[in-house]
Order: sequence, then C-alpha cells, then structure tokens
Amino acid sequence: MKKIFAITWKDAIIRFTSAWELLFFIGLPIVFTFLLAGGTPSGNEDPRISLLLVDEAKTAISRQIIAELENSTAVRPEVLSRAEAQGRFDDRRADAIFFIPSGIDIESLQSGSAEVELLQQPNNINATVAERAVLTAIRRVSSSVSAAQNAVKQRETRQPFTSEAERQAFFESSLQMAQSILENAPERVTVIEGLVEDDYDPRANSSAGQLITWVFVPLFGISALFAYERQQGTLQRLLTTPASKATFLFGTIFGQVLMALLQMLLLVGFGIAAMKLNWGREPLALFVILLTSALAAAAFGTTMGTFIKTEAQANGLSIMFGMVFAMMGGCWYPLELFPSAVQNAVRVLPTTWAMQGMLDLVLRGGGLQDVLPEAGVLLGFAAIFFSVGVWRFRYE
Amino acid sequence: MVKTLLIGLKDLKLMFRDRAALTFMLLAPFLLTIGMGFVTGRFSGGSSGLSDIPVIIVNLDNDQLGDALTEAFSSEELADLMEPTASSDPEAARRFIDEDQAAAAVIIPEGFTRSILPAAGTTFDQNYMEPEPVQIEVYASPSRPTSAGVVKAVVDEFVSQIEEGRTNGMTTMMGLGSSGLLDLQDMEGEARRLFENIEQAETTVISLKKNQAGAQAVEFDILAYMAPGMALMFLMYTVSYGGRSILAERSQGTLPRLLVSPTSMSQVLGGKVLGIFFMGVAQIGILILASTVFFGVKWGDTAGLLLLILAAVFGATGWGMLITALSRTPAQVANIGAAIMLIFGILGGSFVNLEQMPAAIRMFSRITPNAWGLDGFTTLALGGTLLNLVEPIGALLVMGAMLFGIAVLLFHRQGMIQK
Repeated sequence: MKKIFAITWKDAIIRFTSAWELLFFIGLPIVFTFLLAGGTPSGNEDPRISLLLVDEAKTAISRQIIAELENSTAVRPEVLSRAEAQGRFDDRRADAIFFIPSGIDIESLQSGSAEVELLQQPNNINATVAERAVLTAIRRVSSSVSAAQNAVKQRETRQPFTSEAERQAFFESSLQMAQSILENAPERVTVIEGLVEDDYDPRANSSAGQLITWVFVPLFGISALFAYERQQGTLQRLLTTPASKATFLFGTIFGQVLMALLQMLLLVGFGIAAMKLNWGREPLALFVILLTSALAAAAFGTTMGTFIKTEAQANGLSIMFGMVFAMMGGCWYPLELFPSAVQNAVRVLPTTWAMQGMLDLVLRGGGLQDVLPEAGVLLGFAAIFFSVGVWRFRYE
Repeated sequence: MVKTLLIGLKDLKLMFRDRAALTFMLLAPFLLTIGMGFVTGRFSGGSSGLSDIPVIIVNLDNDQLGDALTEAFSSEELADLMEPTASSDPEAARRFIDEDQAAAAVIIPEGFTRSILPAAGTTFDQNYMEPEPVQIEVYASPSRPTSAGVVKAVVDEFVSQIEEGRTNGMTTMMGLGSSGLLDLQDMEGEARRLFENIEQAETTVISLKKNQAGAQAVEFDILAYMAPGMALMFLMYTVSYGGRSILAERSQGTLPRLLVSPTSMSQVLGGKVLGIFFMGVAQIGILILASTVFFGVKWGDTAGLLLLILAAVFGATGWGMLITALSRTPAQVANIGAAIMLIFGILGGSFVNLEQMPAAIRMFSRITPNAWGLDGFTTLALGGTLLNLVEPIGALLVMGAMLFGIAVLLFHRQGMIQK
C-alpha cells in the first residue's frame, strides 16, 4: 500500500509541476460551467425565449396581440423601437423580430388587409418557436374578429341587413361577445414537470456535462503518464525496484482516479454553492456514480496507453477523445437534439452513461436504485478496458 | 526573404510529419463539426436534430375530441417529428417519463369532449348543468425540455383550434338568437355544425409575412457557421504549436546552430512566424475544403473567403506570437495555448451562440479572432461579399498587427532579436 501511495504522490507531483495544471483542474471547468449555464436561466428567471417586438400601430388590436404574447408559455415579448430591434437582430443578438406596422386596427382586420411581419434568423430553432407563438397570438386575436365576421355572414344568409349601419352594429356586438367568450375560456391544458423534487433547473445539464468533460480528459490522459515514463526510461528503472508491474499499474491508475474524485467533488461543491444545485441529496448514490464514471474513464485511458507511443500523441488524443465523447454523450447539448439513430449509437460511449446517471441524481431527483443501471454499465466499461489495457500493456 | 520563406516552409513540412499534431489539428475539429451537424439537424434537414420524439398518449376520453388529438399525433404532418405510443394507464405513462423513456405523456381525461361539446339533445334539457372544465395533462420529462416543449406546442395548437370553433359557434348562435332568427330547438344542432366545420370558416384575418435574414440571397447552411467555429478554435492550438517550435529550437540547441550560418535572428524569427502563418492557413484551408467535399457546404464569395481566412490566421498568429513571447519553455506555450484555445472557443461562439452570454462577455469576446472570424463566415454564408467583410477583416488585421508589435517588443527585451 505504501508503494501505491508513493506512486500516486509521484504522479501528483509530475502532474502539478506547472501551476497551469490548476487552471485545467479547476479554473477552466468552473469558467465553462459558469458560461454554459449562463445561457440557461435558473428556475427563478423567465425561461421564455425573448421576442423583439416593434409596435408601430399602437392600437387596441396591437395591444391585444402584445397581451397574448405576454401570456405565451414560449416567448417573452420585448417592445423596442424599429432601429433598436433591427440593430440587435443584425448583431445576431435576437432570434426574431415581430413587426406590427401602423394601420393594424379593427378596420384593417375587417377588410382583410391586416398584415404583420416576422423577421427570423435562418436555421434557428428559437426563431421557429417564436413563429409558432406569434401564429397562436394572432390567431387568438383574429379569432374573435373572424367569429364576429362569421356571425355576420350567417345572419346575412338568413336575413339581409337593412343598412350598413345595422350590419356594423351587429358586427360590433358579435365581436364583443366573441371577446368575452374567449376571455372567459377556461384553461384546458396543464403542464406538469416529471419527477423533480425541487424546482426544475436546466443548469444542472451544464454542471453535470462540464464535470464529465473536464474529468474524462485528464483520465484519458493516463495514457500520457505511461508514455512519459516510457519515453524518459523511468518505467524500466521503476521495474528494477522491488515494485511489481501490478503495483505500478494499480498505483498509477489509483492516483489518477483519486485526483479525479477530488476534482469532481470540487466541481460538485461549485454546483451546490454557486449554482444552488441539489447535488447532495443522495451522497451514496452520488459517490457511486462519480466513482464508476472515473473508473470507466481511467480504464479507457489505460487502453489508450497501450497503443500510444509518445506523450505528445497521448495529450492530443486524450483531449480529442474527451471532447468528442463529451459532445456525443450529451454533455454539451441534450441528447434529445440528436437523431434517434445517433442517440442509440452513442450508448457505446461511457460519457453517455455517466451523463445519464448524473442527471438521474441532480435533475430527476433519483436515488441509489435509479443510478445502479448506469453504474453497472460504467463498471462493465471499466472491466473491459482495464482487461484490454493490462493485457496489452508494454512494460519495456 | 528567401531564407525566411525557407524556414517557414521547413516548419510547415515538419507539421505535416507530426501525426499526433495533425490528428489534433484536423481530425478533432472535423469530428466535432460532424457532432454539431447532428445537433443542428444539418444532416436530417431540420432546424434542429429533433425527430421521432417519443410521446405517450393516454386517451381516457375515447370520444370525438380525444380521438382527434390522438389522431393529430399520428398524422402525416407530424410523422417525422413524433413517435406516439398509446397507453391506457396514466400512472404507467407518468412512470415511463420519470424513467426518461419518453419526452412527455399526454393524458386526455375522461369527459374532455363532454366538457366542451355536450351530448346531443342535452343542452336545453331542464336538468342540464354546465360541465366543469376538464384539463389535458402534459406530463413532461425535465431532461428533454425541447422535445417536451414541442409536444406541448402541438397540444396548445389543438386546444386553440377547439377554442376557436367554440367561440365561432357560440358567437353566431347568440347573435342569431338575439335577432330572433333561430329557435332553441335548432340552436344546438346549428352550433354543433359550426363547431365541426370550423376549418371551412374564415379563421385568420391577420396574415403573417415571414422573412428570413439573407434567405433571398442564399440558403443559409448552419455548417458554414459550425465548421469554421471548430476550425478557428483549433487554429489557436496550431499557432501555439508553431510558437512552441521557436522555444524548442532554443532549448534543443538548434537555434545557435542556425545562427552560426549567415542568417540573422530576425530572419529566423520571421521565418518562424511565416511558418506559423502557413500552418494556420493550411489547417483552415484543409478543413474548409473537407467541409465542401464531404458536406457540400457552400462558402459564398471566394475572394471574401480567401481574405477572411488569411486575416483570421493573421489575427490568431498574433496571439501565438504573444503567447510565445510570454513563455519560457515549450511546455508553457503548450499549456497556455491549450487554455487559450478553449477559452477563445467558448468566448468566440464555437460552442454556444454568443447571444446567450451576458453583455460584458459579448463585449470581451471581441478580443478573440474566433468571434471576428465567425462574424465574417456568417456574413459570407448569408450571401455577403468582400465589401461586407471590411469590419471583421479590418479588426483581425489590426488585432494581428498589435499583438505582433507587442510580441516583437517582448522578444526585443529578451534579447532574441538583437542576437
């Protein structure tokens, strides 16, 4: 055991020789978690997509449209001047602008000449959501007018109006009636967020995703440690000492897993303290998922170490694999955004299972039983990759 | 000048011999671009990768409106987007969502239709009582917020249509009733007919004119933003890799050897800078070419594209030189370079849209060549030409020149240029 701790200590000294390592160990993960979570508001903020709105009509109809948009569950209207809105749109700081031009009033609706405009950024999912919300809002405002128009039409088929004034009076009373029916319409849809014990906080995705990214990259970098010892010739020297090969391998891996656990705990602590995320609900389940994730990543790093020759190769490849696995495993963007075939394919990656397990805990409020399937798969990864790594390891 | 060029070409050749560096400079951004292509739906033709959203429909209503909503989820229009599964057990459906097996469950309670459309012949019954409103429940998975949002939008739209039909029918009936043109016996049947024929009625009196920025000029390809985003991020690694070779020449003793030849330190340094510039241009050029060949990305104005690449590499080279001037060992350059690569990547918009960032960070992002470069690539993708690129190209050139000037001063103070 003493030898194992000695190897662990030696690796820690090598790793933290440069103070820059601290930047990668804790500085950059915190910066990335903070910046990526900055884009996803916390549960207390308005989570709706901002929709810039230019109201040049300033009529009762335009106010009704704005009121409908304010009630929308999808968008949050921000009323601005045309120049200001256009400036933000041109700087790509807005997904869409909704223009209500002058002349949008009840007469223009009656004559069928009312036209509003939506300017959207291309290929932008938020702009598409904004479009649905705008369509719903204008449809709701229109529906009272169209209901009144239909009432006029039905009345005319049965008994023509004697004068235009009578027609207009009938239209106005029908419009009032339609508006009152709509205003008093009951809520017919209720949305319930699935199993979340606390308020749903989408920033949990960033916290878990960045934790995995920044811990997996250095664990894949175990390959660099092996390459370094081999390149320097210190591996051969080590093996002339009364330390067995198994002790050397175990010591190296144990040390890195220990450091990874420390790094994860620091990042979990940041999530709890700065982002108020409920990481600590089930400490045992948290420990199980953190440990099995670290073991799976360390095992992959050990396997990488068997076919990589130089430290430079190992550094480049561990960053590359770390970033690609993290992205494809849903650590940067939710897996739901990937096509279903890709969602199935990425189950071969340990990052996918690690992310799933951590979200079970921090987002869905699960416990030990909920993370056991993911922990089991991660242990399976660890067993396979450790076996391959130890079997193919070159000690010379 | 010839010597400077030769040193630059020698460094470029060395880069192409370093397989590990090549993998990192070319394969990593290429693979990440593919991932971005999946997320953004570029390879599936949508505005995101969303498709086949698993949704569970529990129709306990088993009546006209409940059946219509169930059919809407299985309609041709939503065939690619939704993958509905029917269930009769609301508890089992909720459990499925809790286990993250589907994005949302739509539970249509018993009596939903009757809460809106009373049974025929009952409306004017003496014992008839207005039914309590019955709500459809959308039980959403918190880990699939986007998919659950789409499910909710479909339900909202359906309910909105129902409300429209109800308003239409009731307004007409009340209007005709108050004019004495309809007796109570006919009223219920007529209202039902109007409700059911809502699609034939005039429903939208405000029309929406849609306009996508630049869409008339050229169809925007999201990969024309994502691919350069990744390429520019890894360009920062390339320029620090090049910078590392300056210090490596010194620590490995090859610099003094170079200097015993009739070559001045300025020529060596100039050659090194040229080498970094060549490497950057080669890297971005290859990635742009690969995106064109494999993904069919169209880049727009060729002259604008070439000048933008040169300017972006010049700006990044300035950063590479500054990092080198501030470092003492090649390992330090590698560490700072990797950190800068990642920080500039996120600040410059390679990972997330800068719009999501606070205003101060958006302002700060202007120190990165990534942000200016991406501005230029987006302008090109939206059909812009060289004339529209004056601002990003100008900013990149000024950035490169300033950083290069600072680096030269630092090298001068370290005595590297006088030798």
